Amino acid sequence: MDAESKAARKQLVADVLSEYPEKTAKKRAKHINVYEEGASDCGVKSNIKSIPGVMTVRGCAYAGAKGVVWGPIKDMVHISHGPVGCGQYSWAQRRNYVSDGVTGVTSWVTMQVTSDFQEKDIVFGGDKKLAKVVDEIEAIFPLNKGISVMSECPVGLIGDDIEAVAKKKTKEIGKVIAPVRCEGFRGVSQSLGHHIANDVMRDYIVDKAPPAPETWVSTPYDVLIVGDYNIGGDAWSSRILLEEMGLRVIGQWSGDGSVGEIENGPRAKLNLIHCYRSMNYICRHMEEKYGIPWIEYNFFGPSQIAKSLRAIAALFDETIQAGAERVIAKYKPLVDGILAKYKPRLEGKKIMLYVGGLRPRHVSDAYGDIGMDVTATGYEFAHSDDYQRTTEYIKDGTLVYDDASEFELEHFVKALRPDLVGSGIKEKYGTQKMGVPFRQMHSWDYSGPYHGYDGFAIFARDMDLAVNNPVWKMHKAPWGKE
Amino acid sequence: MPQTVEKILDHSQLFNEPEYQELFERKKQFECGSSLEEIAKQSAYINTWEYREKNLAREALTVNPAKACQPLGALFASVGFEKTLAFNHGSQGCTAYFRSHLARHFKEPCAAVSTSMTEDAAVFGGMNNLIEGLQNAYTVYKPKMIAISTTCIAEVIGDDLTAYVQNARLKGAIPQDFPIVKANTPSFVGSHVNGYDVLVKGVLVNFWDGKTRGEVTEKINIIPGFDGFAVGNNRELKRIFGEFGVDLTIISDVSDQFDTPTDGEYRMFDGGTTIEQVEEAINAKGTISMQKYCSDKALDFISATGQPTASFHYPMGLKATDDLLMKISELTGKPIPASLEKERGRLVDAMADSSNWLHGKSYSIFGDPDFVYGMTQFLLETGGEPVHLLATNGGKEWEAEMKALLATSPYGAKAQVWAGKDLWAMRSLLATEPSDFLIGSSYGKYLERDLGIPLIRLTFPIFDRHHHHRFPTWGYQGSLRVLVTVLDKILDVLDAQTSKTGISFDLVR
Amino acid sequence: MAPLRQIAFYGKGGIGKSTTSQNTLAALAEMGQKILIVGCDPKADSTRLILHAKAQNSVLSLAAEAGSVEDLELADVLKSGYRDIRCVESGGPEPGVGCAGRGVITAINFLEENGAYEGVDYVSYDVLGDVVCGGFAMPIRENKAQEIYIVMSGEMMALYAANNIAKGILKYASSGGVRLGGLICNSRMTDKELDLAEALSARLNSKLIHFVPRDNIVQHAELRRMTVLEYDPESKQAEEYRQLAQKIHANGGKGTIPTPITMEELEEMLMEFGIMTPEDENIVGKAKAAVVA
Repeated sequence: MDAESKAARKQLVADVLSEYPEKTAKKRAKHINVYEEGASDCGVKSNIKSIPGVMTVRGCAYAGAKGVVWGPIKDMVHISHGPVGCGQYSWAQRRNYVSDGVTGVTSWVTMQVTSDFQEKDIVFGGDKKLAKVVDEIEAIFPLNKGISVMSECPVGLIGDDIEAVAKKKTKEIGKVIAPVRCEGFRGVSQSLGHHIANDVMRDYIVDKAPPAPETWVSTPYDVLIVGDYNIGGDAWSSRILLEEMGLRVIGQWSGDGSVGEIENGPRAKLNLIHCYRSMNYICRHMEEKYGIPWIEYNFFGPSQIAKSLRAIAALFDETIQAGAERVIAKYKPLVDGILAKYKPRLEGKKIMLYVGGLRPRHVSDAYGDIGMDVTATGYEFAHSDDYQRTTEYIKDGTLVYDDASEFELEHFVKALRPDLVGSGIKEKYGTQKMGVPFRQMHSWDYSGPYHGYDGFAIFARDMDLAVNNPVWKMHKAPWGKE
Repeated sequence: MPQTVEKILDHSQLFNEPEYQELFERKKQFECGSSLEEIAKQSAYINTWEYREKNLAREALTVNPAKACQPLGALFASVGFEKTLAFNHGSQGCTAYFRSHLARHFKEPCAAVSTSMTEDAAVFGGMNNLIEGLQNAYTVYKPKMIAISTTCIAEVIGDDLTAYVQNARLKGAIPQDFPIVKANTPSFVGSHVNGYDVLVKGVLVNFWDGKTRGEVTEKINIIPGFDGFAVGNNRELKRIFGEFGVDLTIISDVSDQFDTPTDGEYRMFDGGTTIEQVEEAINAKGTISMQKYCSDKALDFISATGQPTASFHYPMGLKATDDLLMKISELTGKPIPASLEKERGRLVDAMADSSNWLHGKSYSIFGDPDFVYGMTQFLLETGGEPVHLLATNGGKEWEAEMKALLATSPYGAKAQVWAGKDLWAMRSLLATEPSDFLIGSSYGKYLERDLGIPLIRLTFPIFDRHHHHRFPTWGYQGSLRVLVTVLDKILDVLDAQTSKTGISFDLVR
Repeated sequence: MAPLRQIAFYGKGGIGKSTTSQNTLAALAEMGQKILIVGCDPKADSTRLILHAKAQNSVLSLAAEAGSVEDLELADVLKSGYRDIRCVESGGPEPGVGCAGRGVITAINFLEENGAYEGVDYVSYDVLGDVVCGGFAMPIRENKAQEIYIVMSGEMMALYAANNIAKGILKYASSGGVRLGGLICNSRMTDKELDLAEALSARLNSKLIHFVPRDNIVQHAELRRMTVLEYDPESKQAEEYRQLAQKIHANGGKGTIPTPITMEELEEMLMEFGIMTPEDENIVGKAKAAVVA
């Protein structure tokens, strides 16, 4: 980017910050930057407390633990432990699809199970109620393979001992009961919830997994998919490629996942991690404890898919390497066709992103593949290692923001006038009011999958239908002044 | 390879392709799931009376409740006041959830800020968060008023809003006279309907306390209550009052806030009840609540000033609208306009035209207490027979009122009232004693799928259909739309049932 | 009708706070005042001398039985005792579970909403020794107690606690109407007790309302779960409580904003009175053996 444009962007940032009270402006200034090519990170601070009153987009630890990591495990009953709201608002909102499961019989992903705390539970403590909740779950959902207890704020504040209840009830029912201390006031965002969720998964399932049954036959090609929540079926359109190249996927963590697949974990030869932010912790643990190496991959868009397939294959023998080439070749005609169809419609369009902890960088090259340009990007809850990784994806002059407030985002959209904004439900409608097309990039805007080659076709189609819908030329009345 | 450029398959079809079906089969071996026999057995068992008894005996476990928590209702009420910023004192995740929840229903942005309390605030109290939050919110978003409600953390540790706000003023974080209203809304008490009530009361207390009623104006106040159809309904109320020639003040009017145009400008605030209107409302002729259970406390407070009050239960259908109009007439001394009487006749006309399709159909209904009451009352008027009437946030008083309502009609004889039960209980009820149709929110779609009972979406939240909230459900006009919605479903189902044989698949109905 | 007086008694646990408050309130009742006692201690024993009961059924225990607070009626929780003093206990969990502070909030909200304060001259809150969380500060919030009376004695810990409570009051006094009514010294017969109590009162910008001498008759009455006023109205101790009651009655609106002192200042004061000896830095952290050597 030329110096003049870069200076204009810096001015934009300064203008927006000047609207804040001085102390707030000073704090927020550390979270927004115009990227300089060659820098080792994005030049923003991250994973710091949000400032009261500025309308952060972030959620909480519960959202990270229940909403993201544990919630998709289909054969467990996840108790939103505390008052009714948290479970209600997160009920079936992430579209974590399951392949096999009867709702309320063998799968509870689309259900809201809660201890629905009342005042008396706060005052007298909720442990007795929790024990009873477990009994009642066993009575009406006997085929569950385990239970998770996702703590909401009050549980931590009143000092309930959910670990003790879990221990006692586990003995009684002989199934895993995982107490997840993900109270919403812990940490600064969803991120600590991911970490807590990983730790509990480690302590209560992975490290306690029974030895492989006698029927289990290991292969050198056993891998795990880690950090794919199967939103819109993402994990499946990824898995199909891994299987086609000759690998055997022995578990999906946690999209369409099951207790069995988590217990398979220690038998993997390699962990493949998609969402680094939310599940790197467990990969590091498994490397340390079980000697299982892990590799980050990116299945958004053909450039990254091919790159990732080859990088994964390089860790195996020639059969797999040949498999990777075979897969890339197989899908090439599809990719070419999609590019031929959509690239001309999207070439040169600018997108502004603001998502969670992975996609603000991960989808970048997929946009590049269809000719679009990421002009600004940022994360709700990334850490410094994410911002380092981001430098591999972004160009000089990209505007980068961390924990952006709605106020900042609105002003950036207004000033940059991107052709598309990719963010969440809270940002969607306000952006569209401004006449700017929008895609929800958490839920794929009720579409998907976006992972893999099958997903790329949908991704390209969706960006086209967003950017090029006729409605975006209609917001000004013909008798208007301009 | 299932995917082609010509016909791109997304999630709704892609995974039905053989490649993916085979993938699912391969995946099963790693899942260690239950055996097919076990699954078949349990799948059958959950439809039995025996399971129903077990299911209804639950005391501690709640599954698929049809209620949300207090601060959601408070937020909803807050944004119905002009340029009022909803401000949650508590964890930031709560606010993110409220905003998403309302955005998903209205397909509209929903602004609210949080004081982002974290572990240190949990230990030392949230005063600093509140003061800093007020200063930032006031400076950045430039509201005319801030409406504070609380979430769990602030309530459990016992933060004192009054003292904190006073300190914020002393410290100059906000001007001395800047209007701030407060509501304590712990999520472990009541539900969103109570949160709505407490916030509305908080507004009235703030602007009316210490004042006495002066000269009575010609105006009528309306408290609409928590209503997913507020956009259509509030506008319909204005139209009805317009016909009367009576000035009305809707206390918390979200109709513009949740229906802003796409014209190139994002309006964080739009419309709403002004502070002047609220101040003036103490002198109104009377206050009518459209939903009793959303306004218990607010109405008590209003009554204490000597102002007459009346409340309804989400008035839909003929009698409920008649009663509403007669109440307006009684309070204002104005006759019911001929134009509305004509509308009444049109509604009766429509009910008569469709009566042969409506009579004897059975329904189960779930939702907030007032909605279930209003819906039941209307269906009884069409000759419909309610079966299971369920409000997770309904209490003993509601149960008694429902039973009294059912006793007024021979068609109410079969109905059972379920206060405090959840939708997993509803599943058992419908599996053992089914009804022809289910009326409720989007949450009912799983019941529709699992039990084959068609769902009619007529109450909040409606996430999976668009724009219903833009049309009214109250008054004669609103009732007409409710009638058509129910009727369309009845006839669509009939068409689907008869399309195979073609017998009774009739062009004229 | 005179405006409602709302007062609260705070003080270190075991200081004789409940005894002092109940005797004083009994004396106020003798003067014709209509009293409501709100016990804000999970032990629910703030009203036992008035009711002649071990512990009163509390708002929260009854609410837990009934389902929720909304299901309770005022008559369920309100009991009348000596001279028609109305008594209610907020109640709460056993030690170590749940949230007692929240219990106080719930109970007081319930009482206010259901009109428990109507037709009384005095509401008196008797609060757990330490203000450990926001819930226990509920009685000193805006529109609750106007005056706080700190029950203390000449013991070191009681003095510390009194100063701490003054800190708590100051926090709310700067933004609201709560004031420190004064200190009540419930004598433990320590050295220079009266002087100390007066000195601390002065340092806190307050006054010693009354010095209640120690008398075994209090224990005799307690054994019978009675106040001294009822057990032996003619006794000298009963007269003491009457004096205290009159002083409090006359003290309406005369509370002050306290000026709590620092730890160092408090220690200095104790040293002045010879209650505490100056620390010998040489002995700090040394085990017995080391000192001997």
